Order: sequence, then C-alpha cells, then structure tokens
Amino acid sequence: MDLRDSQKQKILIVDDSEMNRAILAEMLGDNYDIIEAEDGEKAIPILQEAASELSLVLLDVVMPYMDGFGVLKVMNQRRWIEELPVIMISAEKGPTQIERAYELGVADFITRPFDALIVRRRVVNTILLYAKQKKLINMVEEQIYEKERHSNMMIDILSHIVEFRNGESGQHIVHVRVLTEAMLRALVAKTDRYPLTQVDIALISTASALHDVGKIAIDEDILNKPGKLTDVEFATMKAHSLVGAEMLDNLSTYREEPLVKTAYEICRWHHERWDGRGYPDGLVGDEIPISAQIVALADVYDALTSERCYKKAFPHDVAVEMILNGECGTFNPLLMDCLRSVAPSLPKLLSGEWTMASAWEAPKELTREILRQEELAQSGVFSQEGGHKEEERK
Amino acid sequence: MTLEACYAALGGDYKDVCGRLCGERLVKKFVLKFLDDPSFGLLRDAMEAQNWGEAFRAAHTIKGMCLNLSFTRLGTSSSALCEALRHGYTPEAEPLFRQTVEDYEATAAAIRAFRTEEEGA
Repeated sequence: MDLRDSQKQKILIVDDSEMNRAILAEMLGDNYDIIEAEDGEKAIPILQEAASELSLVLLDVVMPYMDGFGVLKVMNQRRWIEELPVIMISAEKGPTQIERAYELGVADFITRPFDALIVRRRVVNTILLYAKQKKLINMVEEQIYEKERHSNMMIDILSHIVEFRNGESGQHIVHVRVLTEAMLRALVAKTDRYPLTQVDIALISTASALHDVGKIAIDEDILNKPGKLTDVEFATMKAHSLVGAEMLDNLSTYREEPLVKTAYEICRWHHERWDGRGYPDGLVGDEIPISAQIVALADVYDALTSERCYKKAFPHDVAVEMILNGECGTFNPLLMDCLRSVAPSLPKLLSGEWTMASAWEAPKELTREILRQEELAQSGVFSQEGGHKEEERK
Repeated sequence: MTLEACYAALGGDYKDVCGRLCGERLVKKFVLKFLDDPSFGLLRDAMEAQNWGEAFRAAHTIKGMCLNLSFTRLGTSSSALCEALRHGYTPEAEPLFRQTVEDYEATAAAIRAFRTEEEGA
C-alpha cells in the first residue's frame, strides 16, 4: 500500500445484509472504493485475488455458509491477516466473541449500532496505522539487506585474499555460498529434522565463505603443487581445517558470536565424512554439524567443476554423478536427495544467470522472523522456547 | 407524516439514529430500503420449515438492522428471538416469533404510510 498512490484505497465489506453493507458504504462516503461480499464464502476468492490491493476488511460475524470467524481462520492460514487489517462489526456484544476476534488477529471490533463518525474515524486510523507499520517494515528490510550485503562483502574480501594464495579464481567462495544456501533451502523444504530458521540459513551461508580460512597458514608451495602430494605434504594440507578453527577460536572478542561459532564448525569439520572416514576428528553421521556437512558437499562440487593446478574441470552433470555415486566420500543420504533436487538449477545459479529468490526475499523473511520473535517475546511465549534453543546450540 | 412521526409510530428512536447517521438524509434512505430487505421473509420461511440455524441468522440480521436504524421495538423482539434460537430450537422461540411478526408488521405499516405520503408530496 502506497500512501502516495493517488488511487482510492479499497475496502472490502463482508456482511450478509445488503442494508448493512449499504449503510457502511454510505458512511465511508466517496473516499474509498468499496467492494462487497455477501458472505464469508464469497469473500475468500476476492481476498485470494486481491488481498494485497485491499486496505481494509470490514467483517460481519454471523453469516450463512462461512461466518466471520471462518474468514479470519482462512486469513490466518494464508497469512493475509499479517498485512491486511480487519475490523469486525457485529451486533454480538459477548466478551468471548470479541476476545476470540482479537485472538484471530482483528485490528478492531465495532459493535452495532454504529455511529458514522466513529466508523469513519476507526477506518481511517486503522488504515493509517497499518500503512505506517508497512512503511517501517520496508525500511527495516532495506536496512537488513544493506547490512547483510556489507557483512557478506567484508567476509568475501577476506576469504578471497586466502583464495588468491591458492591460485584460485576467487569464485570458489561465491560458489560455495550459493550452493550452501540452495542446499539448505532444499533441506528445510524436505524435512524438519534439522530445525533451521531463516536466520540460521543466512548465518551458515555467510559463514561458509570462511571454510578454508586456515589455508592462510599453509605453505604456498604445497597449496599450489601441481602433482600428487606426498604423505607429509598431505598431512600439512589437512591441517588447514584445524588451523582455521583455532584461528576463530582464538578471536577473544568474537568467539561467542553465532557467526563465529558457525564458522568454527564449518572450518573444523568441512572435511569430515558421513561414514567417519573424514578428518580431522573422524566424526560420524550427525555428529558432524549440518552446517559443515553441507559446506563439505558444496566444497566438493565446486572443486570438481573448477580447474585446479592438479586437475581439469569436470562438467556439471559428471560432478553431480560422481558425488551421488560416492566417488568423493560418503555424504548424508538426505543431502544426496537435496543435491538431486537442486542439481538442475545449479549451473544457472552459479553462473549468476539466476539469482536466488533469497537475494531480496531473505531479508524480508528475516525481518518477519525477527518481528515475530519480538512479538512472541513480548507476549511471554518465546522466552522459554528461545531458552531451549540456545541451550541446544551450546 | 414526517420521518420523526414515522419513528414514533414504529417505536424507534429518531434522535439517536439521526445523530449516528449524521442527519435525516441517510436515515430516510435506509428506512425506505428496510421494506425491500428479504430477511423477514427468510425468517418466516425458516421458522415454518423448522430450519433453526437459518431462522437464527435471519433474526440476527433483523436485529442488526434494527440496531443500526434505532428501531427499538422490533429490535427488542428480534433480539430476544435471536437469543432463543442461538443454540437451536427452544419453546420460547414460538411466542417470541409471534411478537417479532407483530412488531415487524407494525414497523412496515408505519414505513409504508410514510412512503405513501413522501410519494404523494
């Protein structure tokens, strides 16, 4: 809803009595475009089609086919209620009805008989309030987007410095992040075994850039050796995962930060394998944090499809097949499923031809999540759950 | 017959409705419209068919309109009928229905008289 929009704002009136609809429409006068529905069942398709264009719904309680509470339930299920204010209007005066309406998210409740001035004033106030809130949410979204962009940029720059020593193009970091995010989204869509929020997804994707930061401590001659590494050289090379993790653990100021903790997991365990045959700790299965499991897979895919001093690049299809066949170590079977489902879109995502919907959607989702948590915290519901969650992370 | 006299005849609160609807213009418009509203017909059919849910909704709609138009007398009887039918049939519904019919007919008669004079004027 744009306040500068010169078009009239649209209000949907849902009431089974034509006369009541007409009275309301008259009360609101010529200031609004009025759309009418004579019961809840007729209101739903209108909402389906134009919820985002509406500024307000005036909703009766008692109606045939689907009553006002039925409409509110659908509006909750489809999350229309979050952005579209509803004022409930009824001759019902019982406190339970009114309470139920507020619980289902109505902005206001007006009892009959109504006064033209009061209806008009409440309508205007509600619309303005929601418009202001929407504007604020948009501002927060923009801020979060910018903040994310900047912190990603800083981490990218830092990680590229490490990559350049390795003679790599600098694209590896970007590829691993895109892959990690795509895999995380596929995983969350597939299962709720790993309770990952949008905040977690953003965090892991960002932290993925730091997976090889420990290579800063490895001799360039070993990093860039074209042929096969000797056992000693390989042992030195393998140290990069522990070295990176230690570097992060030694950051006295930031070590408790979620980003650094996640980066620690990724640095330390991105060479572990599902069957326990990885390094440095030989963790098995879900002993390996899901962040590290996914970055490991992303790292392998990108290594296969990139040219390195010791090998040529494999085409996308071949690389996916090699991973699925277990030629690059064993991965979580769930992640294999995820790889199968994201594989078709990977070449376009990695070439930048497609941007992940997340580029702009993620900050929006993040903002919503933060706002929801704030609201829950205020209502006292979240403090408990939030506490548990932090415990689990420790 | 003035609108005020019509309100006196049907047992309504003229001052209240004019205050809420900001003057006589809208009141007149909706009072005349009341005669075309199908809710009373629906109520009668539903009571006859013993469809108590439908009868409750129709009584509820009439009650709502009466509240909006300050038709106090019909509002009182339709509201009582509405409560008697809220959770299905109760024996009180029968006399309350008869009262509602009586009040509706008195209301409709007063409005019709007002309309005839308006059209003649």
